[in-house]
Amino acid sequence: MKNQLLEKWVSQFTGELYNWAFYKTSSVEIAEDLVQETFLAAVEKVDSFKGDSSAKTWLFSILNYKIIDFYRKKVNQPVRLESGILSSFFDKDGTWQQEKRPKEWHEDETHLLDDDDFQVILQKCLDALPEKWNTCVKLKYLAEKGGEDICKEIGIAPTNFWQIVHRAKIKLRDCIENNCFKN
Amino acid sequence: MHILFLSCLKATELIEKKFHIKLSFREKLQLKLHKMMCEFCSRYEKQSIFIEKGISNIQKKEPIPVDLEKLKERISVNLEELNKD
Repeated sequence: MKNQLLEKWVSQFTGELYNWAFYKTSSVEIAEDLVQETFLAAVEKVDSFKGDSSAKTWLFSILNYKIIDFYRKKVNQPVRLESGILSSFFDKDGTWQQEKRPKEWHEDETHLLDDDDFQVILQKCLDALPEKWNTCVKLKYLAEKGGEDICKEIGIAPTNFWQIVHRAKIKLRDCIENNCFKN
Repeated sequence: MHILFLSCLKATELIEKKFHIKLSFREKLQLKLHKMMCEFCSRYEKQSIFIEKGISNIQKKEPIPVDLEKLKERISVNLEELNKD
């Protein structure tokens, strides 16, 4: 009985669950794993499923928990704020180093955002960041929540969070400038 | 350091902080003053806002289709395994 129900749900909802998980993680493998974990958790909890909500809503709530948990684990490995990166961009007194000063990009913004080459470069630069930095930079869009809420949810101190983002953005900007705008 | 003057390092930190958390009155004032004097940080802010837009664009991409039947099968097999235990 229990199995039949689960089987039915797997064939009914796997597609939608996968799309959502992919949207939140941008990775095929991770999305597939999360959907699988969702059903495995559902089997164990199915007795507590009361049917007040639809099965779909219930499964999505499990999946959402899994997604947050995935990010929480990723971000909660010890933070290394490597100040090395900052000293390669700024002098001792905190002024931009001459060769690292942001240059004028001379590009039409809207045009550039739709440009395929630009998207490829942006993705490449994101991937080049340390994984955790990458996660922090993307987290805001993944969760569709404000910074403070995200910090609470994944359990890191807000100061830590935007300091990571700060370092990540400085590197990211530099990478984009070097790849798009070097003449 | 003077209470109202920021280094570029601090200014860019506030620029990033501002995306996530509301700045205090003093921080706002500090940042504004700094940007009035520093073309590089003004430029940095413009570009940083642009990069934010770019990232949010990437996130809106269509999902990569997978072989759903295969995935369903894999899940079913795993569910059965679980029941054997």
